Amino acid sequence: MAKIELAGLMLEVDEHGYMQEPDKWTEDIARAYGLKEGVTELTPDHWKALNYLRSYYLANGICPMIRRLIKETGFTLKQLYDLFPEGPANSACKWAGVPKATGCV
Amino acid sequence: MKKHHRLNDISKNATNQLDEINLDELIPLPPPYDKTDELPAVKTLTDEQKQRLVDNLDGFSALALPQPKDKEEEKKYIKQFISGLNKLLSKQNNWTFLQPLLLSLEYCAHCQTCSDACPVYIASGKNDIYRPTYRSEIFRRLIDKYTKRGGKIMTKLKGTDIDLNWATLSRLYELAYRCNLCRRCAQTCPLALDNALIIRELRKLFSQELGWAPHELHEKGTVLQLEVGSPTGMKPAVAIDNLKFLDEDFSESLGFKIETPWDKEGADILLLHSAGDILSFPESVMAFTILCNAAGINWTLSSDGPGYDGVNYGLFYDDVQLAKIAVRHAQIAKKLKVKKIVIGECGHEHKALITVADRLLTGDLNIPRQDVMTFLEGIVFGGKIKFDLSKNNFPVTLHDPCNIVRNLGIVEPQRRILRYLCPQFREMTPHGVDNYCCGGGGGLSVISGVNFTDWKVNVSGRMKLKQILEAFADEPGPGAKKYVAAPCLNCKLQLRDIFKYYRAWEKSGIMCGGIAELIVNAMVDIKKPYINWNDV
Repeated sequence: MAKIELAGLMLEVDEHGYMQEPDKWTEDIARAYGLKEGVTELTPDHWKALNYLRSYYLANGICPMIRRLIKETGFTLKQLYDLFPEGPANSACKWAGVPKATGCV
Repeated sequence: MKKHHRLNDISKNATNQLDEINLDELIPLPPPYDKTDELPAVKTLTDEQKQRLVDNLDGFSALALPQPKDKEEEKKYIKQFISGLNKLLSKQNNWTFLQPLLLSLEYCAHCQTCSDACPVYIASGKNDIYRPTYRSEIFRRLIDKYTKRGGKIMTKLKGTDIDLNWATLSRLYELAYRCNLCRRCAQTCPLALDNALIIRELRKLFSQELGWAPHELHEKGTVLQLEVGSPTGMKPAVAIDNLKFLDEDFSESLGFKIETPWDKEGADILLLHSAGDILSFPESVMAFTILCNAAGINWTLSSDGPGYDGVNYGLFYDDVQLAKIAVRHAQIAKKLKVKKIVIGECGHEHKALITVADRLLTGDLNIPRQDVMTFLEGIVFGGKIKFDLSKNNFPVTLHDPCNIVRNLGIVEPQRRILRYLCPQFREMTPHGVDNYCCGGGGGLSVISGVNFTDWKVNVSGRMKLKQILEAFADEPGPGAKKYVAAPCLNCKLQLRDIFKYYRAWEKSGIMCGGIAELIVNAMVDIKKPYINWNDV
């Protein structure tokens, strides 16, 4: 298990940088993740997506499917890639402190 | 770097990389993919990762194997490996695959015909460590030395002595996951020996005896599936909710009511999708709902976990997990009193449920299982649905999933469908049972390891990308939208990774999807195009 420092906290992450202790997440951690990918400021649009991702994960134990994310937030896939450099799965889920998706996805 | 490897180099210098991959030494791809400097840099392990993890094979880590704590730990694993070797060769412990394993170990003539058939070996520019025989011969020599009477002396005299130490063990473990289990080697071998089986048995030894397996296949794979219903982590209630959302979403966009049935007792068919499709390729799952309903089939899904997820990663690495999951699938079908299980667009699920689990599914667990190709063929030619072929008038090629085509011999039904419904259908070269693996076979498609995706898109997927580009050579540019029909979720995931890495949509207008979507796209009753070229 790897460790990285984000927003002043030492966090356990997997080899791709996803948090392994979801309950340690804070909004500052999301900002720190964003900064690592060159996004210097999280706009309300970012938060709309991140908040939806995180609340769906906490309720259901997995990330929402892309189609759901698109419908709920009103963003197109292109807009999501504009907001999150590596896309909804590889950036947004990570910044939201949600574990990496497993299985055939 | 193309080195000439002596077999016992594997046991030397545990901390040095045995070999390295140089992109310029791989076989060239057709333009515009022939310039390696225009591709993303290949990820390597960070210094921090190299401290913690073993990185002594080819610069890629599929398994994130931790460095051993001390010599005691190394010795423990070596001892376990030898114990595992003995079990693997005994009837009591390996009744499942002993005979083909022994035959493959015993009769290899070292002719190397298998190597020339291996997509990984060829794509790598003929790097010795990827020869099917390289791994198998090292394994064979370890068996001779450590399990046979007088083995140590005999191998020394024969000059086939390989030391089983941490270097050998850790490298063999990674090497075991450089094979797609595609069986091109076995098909080509003049003696029908099966190098993929040898590797699969090696994986089993690591898993069942040492507890070593990729977490994507084990903890987050079979274990998670048995615990919550699916390796995706999707619990039954979430699966049902997702399908409800999709039913509503597709009903809305297509303009008629689409409803997926759940838990219908006594239905004719239990359709067993790979549940990852629900999350990643919902058009595929919905296409099946639309087709089954339009064809008037009495069908159902099951919410009894893992009855909504037909994957069985145990096939790739562990007999115990394989058995548990296969038996669960059959039990669920039996409880639901369905007449048969129809397997969805998932390659390894076909092999696991139709043949490999056959010996386990006896008595009243012996529920008929049908493949997806003949099932879809029955729907297309069954006369209940009308098609307008002009709706599929774009270049289409077919990727043959190894487990369905080469391994089970199901070759023609899918071609009859595509030849009928796709005016611009063309084959790849070679195709059918001679196809090349997508590069994601053998479970590799779901393993990201540390930087393993970069190996998959550059090495194991290379032959497939080359084939796809050649199949579309008549209209190569991004202006012509082209479809690779890949009726297997693992293949779609691997192709998606390849296309993303090489920006194939942007440069060549290529996307992939299943066969069911093509069928629905041609339906007269679906007024809008079903295949969405925009969401790529």
